[in-house]
Amino acid sequence: MKAKIMDKNELQDFVDELTKDYKVFAPVKMNRIFRLKEISKGKEACLGYQNTRQPPKEIFFPQTEILFTYKMDKEGVELEDIPLPNEKRVLFGIRPCDARALVFLDRFFSSGDYKDISYLEKREKTTIIGLACNSPLSTCFCTSLGGSPFGKEGMDLLLEDINEKYLIEILSEQGAKLVEHIPWLKDAENADFERAKKISEEAESTIKLKIAVEGLRKKFDSMFDAPLWDQIYQKCIGCGVCTYLCPTCWCFDILDEGTPTCGRRVRIWDTCQFPLFTLEASGLNPRPSGKERMRQRVMHKFNYFPKDFGELVCVGCGRCVQACPVNLDIREIIKAIMNT
Amino acid sequence: MTNPYLPNIAVIKKIISENEVNDIKTFELVFEDPEIAKNFKYRPGQFAEVSFFGAGECPIGIASSPMDEGFLQFTIKKIGVVTTALHNCKEGDKIGIRGPYGNGWPIEAMEGRNIVIVGGGFAFTTLRSLAKYILHERNRERFKELTIIYGARDPGELLYKQDLEMWGKRSDLNTVLTIDKEVAGWKGKVGYVPTILKESAPSSKDAVAAICGPPVMIKFSIPVLTELGFPADKILLSLEMRMKCGIGKCGRCNIGSKFVCKDGPVFTQKELQEMPKEH
Amino acid sequence: MRNIENIEDSIREVARKLLNEKKVELVIGYEKGTLPLRTAPCFIDNPDDVDKLAWNASCDANLSKYLIGVDKRIGIIAKGCDARSIIVCITEKQIDREKVVIIGIPCAGVVDRKKIEAEVDGEEILEARVTGEKIMVKGKNFEKTLPKKNFLCDSCLTCRHRNPPICDIMVGNKVPEITSAEGFAEVSYLEAKSADDRWAYFTKELGNCIRCYACRNVCPLCYCKECFVDKTLPLWFGKTNDLSDTMIYHIVRVLHVAGRCVDCGACSRVCPMEIDLRALTKKTEKIVKERFNYEAGISLKEVPPLGTFKLEDAQEFVIE
Repeated sequence: MKAKIMDKNELQDFVDELTKDYKVFAPVKMNRIFRLKEISKGKEACLGYQNTRQPPKEIFFPQTEILFTYKMDKEGVELEDIPLPNEKRVLFGIRPCDARALVFLDRFFSSGDYKDISYLEKREKTTIIGLACNSPLSTCFCTSLGGSPFGKEGMDLLLEDINEKYLIEILSEQGAKLVEHIPWLKDAENADFERAKKISEEAESTIKLKIAVEGLRKKFDSMFDAPLWDQIYQKCIGCGVCTYLCPTCWCFDILDEGTPTCGRRVRIWDTCQFPLFTLEASGLNPRPSGKERMRQRVMHKFNYFPKDFGELVCVGCGRCVQACPVNLDIREIIKAIMNT
Repeated sequence: MTNPYLPNIAVIKKIISENEVNDIKTFELVFEDPEIAKNFKYRPGQFAEVSFFGAGECPIGIASSPMDEGFLQFTIKKIGVVTTALHNCKEGDKIGIRGPYGNGWPIEAMEGRNIVIVGGGFAFTTLRSLAKYILHERNRERFKELTIIYGARDPGELLYKQDLEMWGKRSDLNTVLTIDKEVAGWKGKVGYVPTILKESAPSSKDAVAAICGPPVMIKFSIPVLTELGFPADKILLSLEMRMKCGIGKCGRCNIGSKFVCKDGPVFTQKELQEMPKEH
Repeated sequence: MRNIENIEDSIREVARKLLNEKKVELVIGYEKGTLPLRTAPCFIDNPDDVDKLAWNASCDANLSKYLIGVDKRIGIIAKGCDARSIIVCITEKQIDREKVVIIGIPCAGVVDRKKIEAEVDGEEILEARVTGEKIMVKGKNFEKTLPKKNFLCDSCLTCRHRNPPICDIMVGNKVPEITSAEGFAEVSYLEAKSADDRWAYFTKELGNCIRCYACRNVCPLCYCKECFVDKTLPLWFGKTNDLSDTMIYHIVRVLHVAGRCVDCGACSRVCPMEIDLRALTKKTEKIVKERFNYEAGISLKEVPPLGTFKLEDAQEFVIE
């Protein structure tokens, strides 16, 4: 395995190099939270964070995205497609769980007969540089779901903090090409790899929650009518926090905004937690209360979608656990289901 | 790769009112671009996303049959923002069409069999597409007996009155029309569709049933079909609801592990039984 | 010094009695959360489960939200602010006074865990304990003891109704009210800035909004069956996160709760993007206090000022 090494105090220079050829998105501190934002200088990037409040999906699948614009007059209708991004991008410093989530999104947006070209084009033009987790949070549970704090899925380069240095693992050709342009990076040595391995093992050992995934999926098959849902959903207030902050949630709504003469069609994030999500024209709502909606969210992540994808569609990042206004904890739901 | 959300422009050539209160209209459209028109190949039971720019987009079942050349028909009921905007259109107005989407009625599985079509009210649109396809001279002999049981609240609410009249005169199908309550001058049956279905008792031998209608009609018709001996995998339903993008991406029509727009909207009763009860 | 354990025991006793005597079908309170410094809403319908109920300095949520639209006899734990929002909802006929048993708890303030997280530089807090006036927090590489009074929620620092104005059962002793003058220092601070500075501030804050509607959904006063945001015929404004649409959403929501908002702080507390929403709600609260000398949720007999008209209302804006 090939890797480079750099001193911690070279990080800013590293990012500065990136900004020369790429549009760089990196974690930036905003008030008390971290968000991924476009930066122009290395010093704006901040790696001293646990995880960004918003997952990286917002870079490729923003909350609001224009699908096309239209102009209408007596002559007719003219539609203008939105130009696809053509600049090279770097997404810097995201966690392995989030990179893994992007792999899910890739599969989903490219599956079937129709490809979501806006998302896919941005992804293709983006080199992902991840940041391994030396100290997973108590709310992290990536290891049960096929991920790990030093996981390599979905990334082109992985930065590993080995105390005074960063080990930069090269995980793809795209990553290799990028480091070629930064000649002052030194080659990593065996000792560096050893250090990284030790830190990785320590990090993994701190993750307490272990879910027996196969058992969980089987349990869910018979859970649709379980009385458990009546208890779980009571405190849910039906907002969109869990789904909007979830790296693997991608539901959206499509609306037109404009006048009879000109306007645009946009897509915006939507969530199965809003009552309007399933409201039909006839007035019937197949998911009339929080119970059905909460059940949908949990079963979608842990049962329905895995039937097609083969894997649970949750990466264990813990954002929903931390951000839920009423401390509705998906880990508790999983435990309750395992115990039925 | 093309933007899958970008519609094609179509011109409204004809607007036909389907009922007396004038809240259901059939729109006949032609694509502006003849290339698009030529390449728009669809199956009965598929739908398209119909746009009125500025108001939005909604999924509508294609009411014409693929054997109709040169135009597309959509039957639209005025319910919300988009359908109201479409109803306010005149002939010559331009709207957007994306599609065709969905799986459509499984023609291959229906060939060589007796077909029973059961429809109620406004949901008859894609069944009409199926019926016209089967009845077309190039196709008719590939299918055996055809029975159509179609009901509406009153005679005014029955769609496609011209088609119904022509079908009534043909000998290669059996058309049973029914209305909910007795109306003077009505010569057809009187009674809810499930009741008339039971009365008509079409044979389930080598037969496939295609059913589309309001939820309550379906709820009571399925047991009748089951009692008549139709196995669950030979009862086909079209779930034309809560779809948004039409291409299996936005997640709105997701039921269990399926997307109504992509894996449906036609499902067998057997498939529906295996899906969560959220439809 | 108020003994937290006693209050917790008393709450459980009250709940047990109410359920046993079938005076209520449900008790809504707080239970220990799954993370440090957190509690979660708790729904008890069985007297044997009352030991789940907890009371501590992290009982921050406004539970009155859960009374809306529920046709049951419910006992509800309510701090001063929570009781006030219940009163507003009763006067607006959203809650039936006869069907709710308000279990009032005098409250000297709840802890703002975000302030504590900032104090430990964002390091994860693995353990926390509030004993008396001290907060002990422990993480992987730190252990600190902090004075509780420096880490209370901002809404608690200006609270003038720590004791529920109306309740059916009071648990614990009354606490002294804050009587010092300026309850709107935060608002005055913003008012003193130039229009450009204020615009820059709100642009920065509201630019982070992701339209999750947690603020609206957690607010007990946002009980409309169809929110103005979701209306399509007519469409009032857009649902994207374009700044103008987002600003209008927040401004209109704040105007809708003006004169009814009790500054429980829930909206700001639950915002995942940590937007300073109280800057807007507090401003309307100040206007209502100054123009109508009115505070929401104190009396069952008063109607919120924007829901009525008095001949003596100031109307200096009317041009003769």
